[in-house]
Amino acid sequence: MKTSFRLMLLGLALAAASASAKDVELLNVSYDPTREFYAEVNQVFAAQWKQQTGETLNLRASHGGSGKQARSVVDGLEADVVTLALAGDIDTIANAKQLPANWQTRLPHQSSPYTSTIVFLVRKGNPKRIKDWGDLTQAGLGVITPNPKTSGGARWNYLAAWAWASTKYRDGDKVVDYLTQLFKNVPVLDTGARGSTTTFVDRGIGDVLLAWENEALLTLEQPANRGKYEIVVPSLSIKAEPPVAWIDKNVDKHGTRKQAEAYLRFLYTPEGQRLAAKHGYRPAEPDKVPAAELAKFPAVKQVTIDSAFGGWKKAQAAHFSDGGFFDKIYLPK
Amino acid sequence: MQTRVRLANATPAATTWLWGALACALALPAPAQTAPPTVEELAQRLRAIEQRLGGGEAVADAAADSGNLADLDQRLRVIERRLELQAEESAAKAASTPTLTLSASKGLAVKSPPPGDVELKFKALVQADGRFFIGDDTVPQNDTFLFRRIMPTIEGSWGSLVGFRLTPEFAGDSATIADAYLDLKFDPRATVRIGKFKSPVGLERLQSSGSTALIELGLASELTPNRDLGVQLQGEFAQSTVSYALGVYNGAVDGRDSPTVNPDNDFELAGRLFFEPWKNHSNALSGLGFGLAGSRGDKQGSGNNVLPRYRTPGQTQFFNYRGAALADGAHTRWSPQAWYYRNAFGVLGEYVSSSQQVRIGAAADELDHRAWQVTTGYVLTGEDAGYKGVARPNHPFTVGGAGWGAFELVARYGRLEIDDAAFPRYADRNAVAAAARSWGLGLNWYLTGNLKLVANYTQTEFEGGAAAGRDREDEKAFFTRAQLAF
Repeated sequence: MKTSFRLMLLGLALAAASASAKDVELLNVSYDPTREFYAEVNQVFAAQWKQQTGETLNLRASHGGSGKQARSVVDGLEADVVTLALAGDIDTIANAKQLPANWQTRLPHQSSPYTSTIVFLVRKGNPKRIKDWGDLTQAGLGVITPNPKTSGGARWNYLAAWAWASTKYRDGDKVVDYLTQLFKNVPVLDTGARGSTTTFVDRGIGDVLLAWENEALLTLEQPANRGKYEIVVPSLSIKAEPPVAWIDKNVDKHGTRKQAEAYLRFLYTPEGQRLAAKHGYRPAEPDKVPAAELAKFPAVKQVTIDSAFGGWKKAQAAHFSDGGFFDKIYLPK
Repeated sequence: MQTRVRLANATPAATTWLWGALACALALPAPAQTAPPTVEELAQRLRAIEQRLGGGEAVADAAADSGNLADLDQRLRVIERRLELQAEESAAKAASTPTLTLSASKGLAVKSPPPGDVELKFKALVQADGRFFIGDDTVPQNDTFLFRRIMPTIEGSWGSLVGFRLTPEFAGDSATIADAYLDLKFDPRATVRIGKFKSPVGLERLQSSGSTALIELGLASELTPNRDLGVQLQGEFAQSTVSYALGVYNGAVDGRDSPTVNPDNDFELAGRLFFEPWKNHSNALSGLGFGLAGSRGDKQGSGNNVLPRYRTPGQTQFFNYRGAALADGAHTRWSPQAWYYRNAFGVLGEYVSSSQQVRIGAAADELDHRAWQVTTGYVLTGEDAGYKGVARPNHPFTVGGAGWGAFELVARYGRLEIDDAAFPRYADRNAVAAAARSWGLGLNWYLTGNLKLVANYTQTEFEGGAAAGRDREDEKAFFTRAQLAF
C-alpha cells in the first residue's frame, strides 16, 4: 500500500506541475487616456522581450480614473505595474505596504518617463472666445472636467486653475471664489478624463474641455473630429508628471519582478520615448526623440506640483481630502 | 410657429433627437391641449425635471430664461449624460458587489462579483425520526424520537481551482465532522479531493443522506465503508458517461466512518468505475448506470475501529466478532452495482463481498461476508424518479390549496450472509446471527422540494443469533421521518 501511496503523490505532483505551466502575464493598471499609448507599448515591448528572452509576455492593461484605479489595487487588484496620473495615487498604494515608500527614486526623473500639461479643447472657431483661465467663469459657459475625487487628470486641471488664479488674484478668498465659479459651470462631472472627452466630443456637451495635452492631441487626430475642434494653450499651466512603478507585493507573488522592471525601463529607451511623443506625451528625455516629433508641443509656461503646492502630499491634504478645498468649492446638488 | 425653429447649434439628427427626447422625457401630466407647447413651456418643464434629478442648477441658472432652443438642447444633453453616468455607476457598482441570494431550493449563497468564481453556499439537512419496534419481546428495543441528522453545510469555490465543503453533524451527543474536504479542480476529468468524505465503494452509501429511498440503509451497505480520510482522484469524461474515483484512505471499517486517525498504520486503496453510456440520449436506456467498485488494504488489530459489527435496517446490531478476534491482514471488498431510472420508476441494486483475514491465537482464516440488495420505487404522482430522489413535486403542497406534493412508494429486499468459517471460532452463533434477510416498504411524501415526510416498515429475519442454535426473533420496525433539506 505504501508504494501505491507514493505513486499517487507522484501523479498529483505531475498534475500540479502541468497545470502551472503557462505564459508570463503582466497587468498594467493605468489611468484613463493612456489606452492607445500602452496598447502600442505593449505590442512593441512584448515583441522585443520575446526576441531577447524567448519568453512570451501576455501584457494586459486596465484603464480608469487614476484615483479609482489606485483604490482597486489597494483593494486587491493584482497589478504588476501601475502607470497612474499622479504620484499621490501610487503613494496611496505604498501606504498599503504594497511597494516601498521610496518607490519614486527607483526610476529616472522621479519615475515619470513622460510629462504632460493641461490645455483647453474648444469647438472650431472658439465661438465662446476662450483664451485663458479667466474666461472659464463667464455665465452660461459649459466647462467639462472630470471629478478630482476620482480622476488624476481632474486634479491636474483643478491645480492648474488654482495656480493661475493664485498668480492672478494673489488673494486666497478670491482664488476660492474663482474656483467656485468655475465649477458652477461644470454641468457633468465624469469619473475619468476619457469620460469627459466622451461628454464633450461624443455627447456635444459644453463649450470647453479641460484636458490632458495628449488627450486633446488625440482628439484632434481622430478622423471623425478633423476640423471640429482646436486647442487653446492658456497663459499658465501645470507640468503633469504621471509616474510609473512596479508593485513589489504582486510581482513577487507572480514571479514577474524581472519582466515588470524591464517593461517600465523600456519607457525610458529611445523607442519608448518616441512612442510617448507619438501619443502626445512630452518625453522626459527629449534628446532621445527626433526634433520633428517634438514640434507639436508648444512652449507653455508651467508650474510644478512641488514649486506651486509643496508636493503631492500637501496638495492632496489641502485640496482633495474629505473636507478639503474641493469639497468647499464644489457642492453636489 | 416656434416648433419649426431649427436648433441654432444642433445637427438635424440632434434636432430629431431633441424633439423625441422632449416627447418622452417631458411626458409629465399635462392638461389636454390642441397647440404644440411653446419654448417657454418646454423650458419650464425641463427646469422641473432638472430640479427633480438634482444637480442641474449650474446650467439651468445660465440658460433658464433664455428661451433658446440651443440652450434647451444642451440641457437635455446634460440630463441624458447624467442619466448615462448614473447607469454606468450602477453597472460598475453591480459589477463590484457580491451577490447574495436566498432561495428555498438552494439556501443562502454569496457570490463574488463577476466572474463569480468565489462562492459560499449555506445549506442544511435536518432529519427528525420516530422509531417504533413491534413484538420486540425477546430482544427489546427502545421506542424513541431522535434527531437522526442535523447537518449544516458550508460549501463553495474559492477561485476556479479550489472547491470545498464543511459539514458538521450536531445530531449526536457531541458535535462531529461529517464531511470536510478540499477539491483541487484541475480539470473535470481530474479533481483531487483531500480530507474526509464518503469512500467510493457503496452505491446506496454514496447517495445523499437526504435522498435514500428508505430511512436507513440496507444490508449490503453494511459491508461498505462510510466516510474516510484520504486523498482521492476523481473525474468524469466521455461527456460525463464515464466517471471514476480512485484514492488512498486510512481505511474505514465496514458500515462505519473511519476514526480521526489511522488506527493501524496501514492504508486502504479504493476505487470505483461507473458507466452511464446512454445518459445523453433520450431512450429507454438513458437512465441505466452500472459499475464496479472495490477496496483493498491491510487491517491489523482488534476493536470496533478495525473489525466490523453489522446492523439491521432497524439499526440494531446482529453480528460482531468475539473480543479475542484480531484483524490480521488483507481486507478486500468488491461490489458490482447498477441503477435504472425511467420516468416514475426506479430500481437500484448492488452486491458486496467483504473478506478479511482474521486470527485468534494460532488459528487464522480469511472470512468472506457477502450481501446484496435491490431497492425499487414508483412515484405515484408522476414525477421523475432518480438517484437524488424526487427533486421537485409538480404540485407542491399548499395549505388550503390544490397541491398535495409528490408521493413515492418504495420497497427493498436484501440479504447478508456471514462466512460459515466465522463460527464458532471467531463469533458465537448463539449470540450473533449468521445471516439476515430484510424487506421493507416505505411511503415518501415530498410536500415541497425541501420538506419530506417518510414512513417505513422493515422486517428482518435471522439465521441463528439466539441460544441453543435457534434463530433470533424477527425485527419488526416502524420508522417515521420529517426531513428539511435545502
